[in-house]
Amino acid sequence: MSPFWITIAILALAALGYLLGRSRSVRLAGGDTRALHSRPTYHGWHVALFTALPALVLLALARLLQAPGWLAPAALALGVAGLAVALSRTAPQFRARNVVEQVVRGILIVCSLIAIATTVAIVLSLVFESLRFFRMYPWQDFFFGTEWTPSFGGGSELGMLPLLWGTLYISLIALLVAVPVGLYAAIYMSEYATPRVRSVVKPAIEVLAGIPTIVYGLFALVTVGPLLRDWIAQPLGLGSSGSSVMTAGLVMGMMLIPFVSSLSDDIINAVPQSLRDGSLAMGSTHSETIRQVVLPAALPGIVGAVLLAASRAIGETMIVVLGAGAMARISPNPFEAMTTITVKIVGQLTGDNDFASPETLVAFALGLTLFVMTLGLNVLALYIVRKYREQYE
Amino acid sequence: MDDVRMVERVVDTDARDIKFQCKDVQVFYGEKHAIKDVSVDLLDKTVTAFIGPSGCGKSTFLRCLNRMNDTIGIARVQGRMLLDGEDIYDRRVDPVQLRARVGMVFQKPNPFPKSIYDNVAYGPRIHGLARNRAELDEIVEKALRGAALWNEVKDRLGETGTGLSGGQQQRLCIARAVATAPEVLLMDEPCSALDPIATAQVEELIDELRATFSVVIVTHSMQQAARVSQKTAFFHLGNLVEYGDTDDIFTRPRDPRTESYISGRIG
Amino acid sequence: MTDVTSQPPRPVDPPAAPARRSLLIEDPRTRRRNAAERRFRAYGVVAIALAMGALVFLLFTIFRDGTSAFFQTYARIPIAIEAQVVDPAGNRDPAEMQKVLTMGYGKLLDNSLAAYVEANGIEIEGLDDRDLSSFFSAQARADLRNAVLANPELVGTVIEAPVMTSSRIDGMFKGRVSRESAAIDAKTSVAQYDLAMAMQERGDLQTRFNWDFVTSTDSSDNRPEAAGLGVAILGSFYMMLIVLVLSLPIGVAASIYLEEFAPKNRLTDLIEVNISNLAAVPSIVFGILGLAVFINFAGLPRSAPIVGGLVLTLMTLPTIIISTRAALKAVPPSIRDAALGVGASRMQTMFHHVLPLAMPGILTGTIIGLAQALGETAPLLLIGMVAFVTTYPSAPPEGFLDPASALPVQVFNWTQRADPAFFERASGAIIVLLVFLLAMNLLAITLRRKFERRW
Repeated sequence: MSPFWITIAILALAALGYLLGRSRSVRLAGGDTRALHSRPTYHGWHVALFTALPALVLLALARLLQAPGWLAPAALALGVAGLAVALSRTAPQFRARNVVEQVVRGILIVCSLIAIATTVAIVLSLVFESLRFFRMYPWQDFFFGTEWTPSFGGGSELGMLPLLWGTLYISLIALLVAVPVGLYAAIYMSEYATPRVRSVVKPAIEVLAGIPTIVYGLFALVTVGPLLRDWIAQPLGLGSSGSSVMTAGLVMGMMLIPFVSSLSDDIINAVPQSLRDGSLAMGSTHSETIRQVVLPAALPGIVGAVLLAASRAIGETMIVVLGAGAMARISPNPFEAMTTITVKIVGQLTGDNDFASPETLVAFALGLTLFVMTLGLNVLALYIVRKYREQYE
Repeated sequence: MDDVRMVERVVDTDARDIKFQCKDVQVFYGEKHAIKDVSVDLLDKTVTAFIGPSGCGKSTFLRCLNRMNDTIGIARVQGRMLLDGEDIYDRRVDPVQLRARVGMVFQKPNPFPKSIYDNVAYGPRIHGLARNRAELDEIVEKALRGAALWNEVKDRLGETGTGLSGGQQQRLCIARAVATAPEVLLMDEPCSALDPIATAQVEELIDELRATFSVVIVTHSMQQAARVSQKTAFFHLGNLVEYGDTDDIFTRPRDPRTESYISGRIG
Repeated sequence: MTDVTSQPPRPVDPPAAPARRSLLIEDPRTRRRNAAERRFRAYGVVAIALAMGALVFLLFTIFRDGTSAFFQTYARIPIAIEAQVVDPAGNRDPAEMQKVLTMGYGKLLDNSLAAYVEANGIEIEGLDDRDLSSFFSAQARADLRNAVLANPELVGTVIEAPVMTSSRIDGMFKGRVSRESAAIDAKTSVAQYDLAMAMQERGDLQTRFNWDFVTSTDSSDNRPEAAGLGVAILGSFYMMLIVLVLSLPIGVAASIYLEEFAPKNRLTDLIEVNISNLAAVPSIVFGILGLAVFINFAGLPRSAPIVGGLVLTLMTLPTIIISTRAALKAVPPSIRDAALGVGASRMQTMFHHVLPLAMPGILTGTIIGLAQALGETAPLLLIGMVAFVTTYPSAPPEGFLDPASALPVQVFNWTQRADPAFFERASGAIIVLLVFLLAMNLLAITLRRKFERRW
């Protein structure tokens, strides 16, 4: 029997247990359910939970640890045993509701721990494989090397700096696009726009946020890249590649506009109206009020929003895979193809991998670097934003 | 409280010039008729109190005097409001210029999240009142002295204004309003968020401000109106019921509604 | 500013009290300030126009490039199923006929086309055998073979069925291939171009709506005209199913605990910080997690929807938890008090009263989370979803373990192919993806509108 059908069988057994538990409690109470401590439904659930839970946990463990095949039928047996024990415990004075609620509470706790488990799993998988990598390749050369020439035949140079340069350069351009546009759009929407304009423009900008990054990637590859190459880079003699830092940066900036604007919008709206009134009542114009009172008051929140956007930019993958190119180099010319950390993670981990070679394992070290960078930015940004919110609550 | 101030403070209000002349003012909030046919002359160098039960329109009327109602999209004002003979709702009037001459202090102290100095210097800076730093320093000091705050904050002008106590914050807001050298100062329940001691300080300040400005104060406290004002206007359901010398209003009200309010039967 | 205090106020000229000017005249300073005000406002308008313009331009190019993927050019000429080619043994036995490979059927098509050219008296200079043999898609041969094997009766007859043309012929009717570009293209020729035009004049070439693009499987590098989204759509659907089934209950359970039962302690704080951070972890990191844990450690197969579904579940959970908690928070405490007041336990209050009231908000958040997951590409690349798959996965649950693709990954896959005809397909696939996303978002908006409650 496949695990799937065993699961189905256990669930069916649990359903049966529910019915048995319920009817047994009614029978024990002599038909008068008022004599029961808990409603019959709870007796039913009690039996069902004791049937299904231990059996399913065993089944999952067996699957995860690839234990021998006999464990699967054993899970079914455990289910039957659970059913029998729970049924035998059923009695009019048995506190089925309390037991069921305790178990449900336990399940709720386990579910909320999944978030932590995910983080732990991320850290462990990155750290372990990175350690294996650093045993094969010196960490100084990885963090401070300026050459990236992996070759599966051996003798690779795996210096991270060219990738870091590309990542930061593209992110910088993206932020230079997204922050002014997003911020001014947010200011206009929260301070000037009439409710009607707002009701049209706000959802439209949010559409930008709902578009998957692969769409932006294709847009960079097919439209923006050739456009920049034919109209700017080639006429100015700056390069002849459609994939470039500028292409990826511009498109990524476009993607980040709604991100910056909706966060800033929230933050600007959180500035108390009394400050605006105070400024307007002194005879300042609307824009003076915004620039000299609202924005300074909102500054911490906006800084937080920009940091979150920066973290997004650094971790963005598809736009750079399709728009930036795969050339690892350090160059100031934004119309040249360069590459990023995320591009190389994809590059080293797609296709057939040999998990014993540094050329594959380097992807985990890159992933760890990326994770630490973005985590740092996120923690800082969330801290700033939270402090900011508290200020006006 | 300082009852000395309450007695023998009668001034000859008849000799004062008219600062604000309001005729047949109507205010609508969308469909709601918030102010009905109000005509009143506000005097220069005088404290005028607007009293009345909540929702009677006294704050609405106050906000019309420096066109703060413009910031609420649905508010509509009809009638004439003349400041020194010029209609402030004339199409040619820029509210920015008007508000430089008619300052306002709000119910809750709302210092900007800037330093004390920058809070006070804000108005003079945007209106270009100082030619250099020295002049600006002087304006700031004068305003803070005028708001009876100088001695408390002179050693920490660089600290943020939000760090002051509630009463100090409100006096900072008054200093901020005074710094632009307005002619009229509107105060919307300036003491309602303050404790009794801070209230007394602000009330004393208002009495001093009278020497320089025309002050209009909205208050829900009749005692406060009696303490600080020379003229009182009683509003009820959007109507101006009675307007006259404060002493007359509180001792010899002419309208039965005023009397009911004064004696605490409505409100 | 502190220097103010160090020096006593000097008796400078009292700052010139600004001369009172009429309110009716705008003074120069106010005029300048109002001009600055208008400029500032204009920046805002420009910013919004830029954002809107970018959105419109993006959508415009996608639809301009992608719409043609839904159309395909077919030829309608008589095709003679010559018995000596497809059934050399002559016994109409499908098992025997299996031995004739698709190459043989290519010959049938070439011969039929040559016969057609001759019969219609089309004379084109330089038209050679290569032009004829590359006129039809390689897929057309396979289709013809399948049709004949399925129905041996056809052998020896002349049938008239639509035959898929090659991507170059197709491109001639979509503006992608011109007579000039045909001259320098190794895969077509001017003669082929002229032939196609002549056939179109006679009404024997037709460009019509192409359902196969949505339903058929991916195809190899040299037949872009036959590539379809069937496997990708099915793969995405399987993954969304897994994400829905896992992330909704887990997300709701976690939210209920955190919002209603969790004590205020370090652990709860840690979980909360964790969730907000997880929501901002780059998606590619989740891909690494999937590769390391689900494939390398747990031994699940690569390219399988189950792995993709699990990875996307972990990515979607924070979104669902955040929106579910907001929905639970929006239920007023009075409801809880009322239920607790009649003696319900906290658990009963939660499941009988609060949760049903919060359900519309929860579902809206879930749909939006699913929409995000549907468009996610990067993590799927790392778990092998980018593989070239030409067979449909079987029905669930076994199908969850079969290799499949996913919509956004299919787009990426096609951008990596050499033939430019695949770009049209990539844009077309994006249109399909956007249609799905639009549908999901509309559903979310409808739900919100219909059940929105103001307390």
